[in-house]
Amino acid sequence: MPFNRHLSTLISALLTALMTLALLFNTASAQTSEELPKTIILIAHPSVGTPMIHRDTARAMFAMRQRTWPNGQAAQIFVLPNRDTVHGRFTKEQLGVYPHQLQLAWDRMVFSGMGQAPNRVRSQEEMREQVARTPGALGYLEREYLDESVHVISME
Amino acid sequence: MKASMLFQWNEHRAPMSWLAIGLLALLPMTADGDEHPWDTLQVHGFLSQALVITDDNDFFGTSSENAGSLEYTELGLNASFRPHRKVLVAAQLLSRRAGGETSDATPTLDYGVIDYQMASSQSRTLGVQVGRFKNPFGLYNQTRDVAFTRPSILLPQSIYFDRTRALGLAADGVSVYWEEHTAAGTLRFRSGLGSPQTGSELTRQLFNGAASDVSASEPSAIAQLLFEDPTGQWIAALSTASVHLETSLGGHAADFEFQPWIASLQYNEEQWNLTAEYALRQQSLKGDNVPRAFDITGESWYVQYQRRFTPSWSGLIRFDRLINDTDDRSGQRYEQGGLGPAHSQFADDITLGVQWTPTSMLMLAGEYHAVNGTGWLPKQDNPEARETRQHWNMLLFQLSLRF
Repeated sequence: MPFNRHLSTLISALLTALMTLALLFNTASAQTSEELPKTIILIAHPSVGTPMIHRDTARAMFAMRQRTWPNGQAAQIFVLPNRDTVHGRFTKEQLGVYPHQLQLAWDRMVFSGMGQAPNRVRSQEEMREQVARTPGALGYLEREYLDESVHVISME
Repeated sequence: MKASMLFQWNEHRAPMSWLAIGLLALLPMTADGDEHPWDTLQVHGFLSQALVITDDNDFFGTSSENAGSLEYTELGLNASFRPHRKVLVAAQLLSRRAGGETSDATPTLDYGVIDYQMASSQSRTLGVQVGRFKNPFGLYNQTRDVAFTRPSILLPQSIYFDRTRALGLAADGVSVYWEEHTAAGTLRFRSGLGSPQTGSELTRQLFNGAASDVSASEPSAIAQLLFEDPTGQWIAALSTASVHLETSLGGHAADFEFQPWIASLQYNEEQWNLTAEYALRQQSLKGDNVPRAFDITGESWYVQYQRRFTPSWSGLIRFDRLINDTDDRSGQRYEQGGLGPAHSQFADDITLGVQWTPTSMLMLAGEYHAVNGTGWLPKQDNPEARETRQHWNMLLFQLSLRF
């Protein structure tokens, strides 16, 4: 086999170089997103009778571990794409978890028969429309996208 | 429903999923204002294809010859829906090949459950799963065949090796889960009682094909207690299982007992995580006149550091150690007893890996393993233990898709 110790040393050196390269990319991209933060609020379908939920409950619902609202109504969760900045801010600031942690939690639920994935929307307009249309829906958006079609939920 | 009834099902008879479908018909489909249960239908899938290259020894196919082996493929398709606000129905078909025969890729029912969540509140979640459920074992067992849930192409082989994969993967029976949510975090308990999958795959993997008629007359039990702090920064778990199988070796009836314990700990930061697991495995094979009867305790552990460089790039470094018999760590006694080479009784594996996930649907990964020992080397790829090399290297590449 044409694969000896020297080659394996070379490969580990290559992998290390690749990691270093990726680290450089990281510092470069970290500087690009500097916007004024806008308030992100929790929204729900008007039929949802719960005015306020605990942060732990919100976290369990967005992690897809809790399938119902505290009053027993079936919940439908809506989220923006993983790399959307509003999604990133929502998960980190409001839920205290990272987007990649949530994605892993969803994958573990979906591929083990323990739960389902949340519904994906592409934009905040679509988020508002879907939440307004789906009974039991829970989502989030920046305050400027809010209108009367959805119900605001406060978080303890 | 009597629990004892459930354990009579095996792969050749009606799978639990049919029972599940039967029970579904009894459920009120439009209860509590959930108007369109079929709106909750979800279908997801995944596909992974790896290239395995080794210098010596074969892993998942003839990896040491020519350009390596392409015989590591995983393909899964699942569907789930909620017919009622407290009920989830989910099933997954899995096709997997890891060396061996092409026929190994025949799709099997990976899981098929009816999940009834009887309580779900701010402080507590309580539910039960009936059917073929995935065993919660260590941090990775439940989704061990899904590349996107693994930190590396191969999970740490000292704990997640292929030899007892079929045994630990899923069981047909009843599983309960119970979560307590407190200010300090969430405590999750899962326990299952069921019949393990004892198909031909297990017969071949378990005793190098020397055993025949592997069956389970008693249900196996599995339990996991897991603690997670509110933001998932700390995760700690303890898992255990008890498996009892009857088999026959060289025409003699034998009993095989397997009792593993795994302690798991993970610390998560935004850009990195540190994971360690430690396992003890008690295994015994007993019976009158059984050749190679044994009663041993194996030990496995690994420490793994994973770093996220960007949202799409991550790297990993890991040290992983397997000791087959803690009373014979170097394998010298095993070799002196004429049972095989000493190096087949342990394995130290240093792994370096990278993952690139340009979109949420695609992942490309590469990794390098420097291995000392053949403790977890699949026997079906290396039928002659004496021809294996103690020090060997492995390079893997993998493309994975999911939807």
